[in-house]
Amino acid sequence: MPDPKKNGLLTAVLSALAAMFGVQSDRNRQKDFSSGSPLRYLLTGVLMAALFVVGVILLVRLALMLAGA
Amino acid sequence: MIRKVWLLPWIGWLVSLPAIAAWDVNMRPGSTAIAREVYDLHMIIFWICVAIGVVVFGVMFWSIIHHRKSRGAEARNFHENTAVEILWTLIPFAILIAMAVPATATLIKMYDNTDAEIDIQVTGYQWKWRYQYLGEDIDFFSSLATSREQINNEAPKGEHYLLEVDNPLVLPVGKKVRFLFTANDVIHSWWVPDLSVKKDAIPGFINESWAIPEEPGIYRGQCTELCGRDHGFMPIVVDVRPQAEFDQWLADTRSAAAAQKASATQEWTLAQLMERGEQVYNTSCAACHQANGQGIPGAFPALAGSPMVTGDIGAHIDIVLHGKAGTAMQAFGAQLNAVDLAAVITYERNAWGNDTGDSVSPQRITELQQ
Repeated sequence: MPDPKKNGLLTAVLSALAAMFGVQSDRNRQKDFSSGSPLRYLLTGVLMAALFVVGVILLVRLALMLAGA
Repeated sequence: MIRKVWLLPWIGWLVSLPAIAAWDVNMRPGSTAIAREVYDLHMIIFWICVAIGVVVFGVMFWSIIHHRKSRGAEARNFHENTAVEILWTLIPFAILIAMAVPATATLIKMYDNTDAEIDIQVTGYQWKWRYQYLGEDIDFFSSLATSREQINNEAPKGEHYLLEVDNPLVLPVGKKVRFLFTANDVIHSWWVPDLSVKKDAIPGFINESWAIPEEPGIYRGQCTELCGRDHGFMPIVVDVRPQAEFDQWLADTRSAAAAQKASATQEWTLAQLMERGEQVYNTSCAACHQANGQGIPGAFPALAGSPMVTGDIGAHIDIVLHGKAGTAMQAFGAQLNAVDLAAVITYERNAWGNDTGDSVSPQRITELQQ
């Protein structure tokens, strides 16, 4: 088991991904909720939502470019 | 025997399948390449839904029956199963993507309005359609042709009740026709299922769509955006003809329009104006003011005995030509030609006991229209 404080960012990213997908195990949820400040999770969530929007925009740009529009 | 009673509804359902097929509730296959693609998509997605329904309800009912309490089933209490949850998120995702790919391909084709050979502006009015063949100098209104007697249950209803018009939209076979939709008053929507065209006609906006008719024939449609009292009385009829017949129709329609213009300078007798006026009245005015001129109390004023119609002739002409702001009375000066306007005003001034003896000449209307 890696040290949760060391891998805090990775845990937050994985939890945000799980939230976006809609499936999270109870074990991870309990771990996240006992790891102190929620700020890291909030910021990661907002950042990943923004990344998702940018990703969709880029995907549409790519599709339009390939379609020759 | 009694144990098989549950089979009865299923046997009944199987026996009635041919009747369900003949019931004609399914989408129509249509008569253009796009319409067939849309129909095929509809059927593919329908069968996907059927398969999902069978699997989901099958598993559900099997589980309910197999694990019933009378057989001593014990509930297992657990909070989550991440593997199953991931699976039932991924499967619908995959199904949706699989449906979206062919649907998007068809949508892109439907939105490709380029390379049209004929452009037709379609304008919705309360309650009729106007067709302008851009660059062809052809411009006409298409109104309901079903008689008021049929609508009022005073005559038997015809085969194409409320789906027939005086001037159909005529198109040639095999040419890409681009439609430009707009409206004059409220939002209408132009829908011809066989051509797979359904587009809103919005005042101040131009919407585009297109079709390549493949088979000569008559295709019928309706307004499909609630647009007021006679929303169900402004049908669409598309008359698809072979190219030679279409060219002939173009020439005939142009010469008819020229003859119409010429007739505005001729002398018309009161009897001629009355006869023509009655036709115009029944097509353009009777929907509100009623064929007997009595109107609808509280909604549309009566013309029989009305001071507007029996009084000052100039005011009467003005309201017919320019409409009345804030009411349903439209400006017919832009919709009807001089002869029709003169005829209908003459008719209104002399029908239903309004015997004023007044006669309005087409020339008088022509002067006012300039």
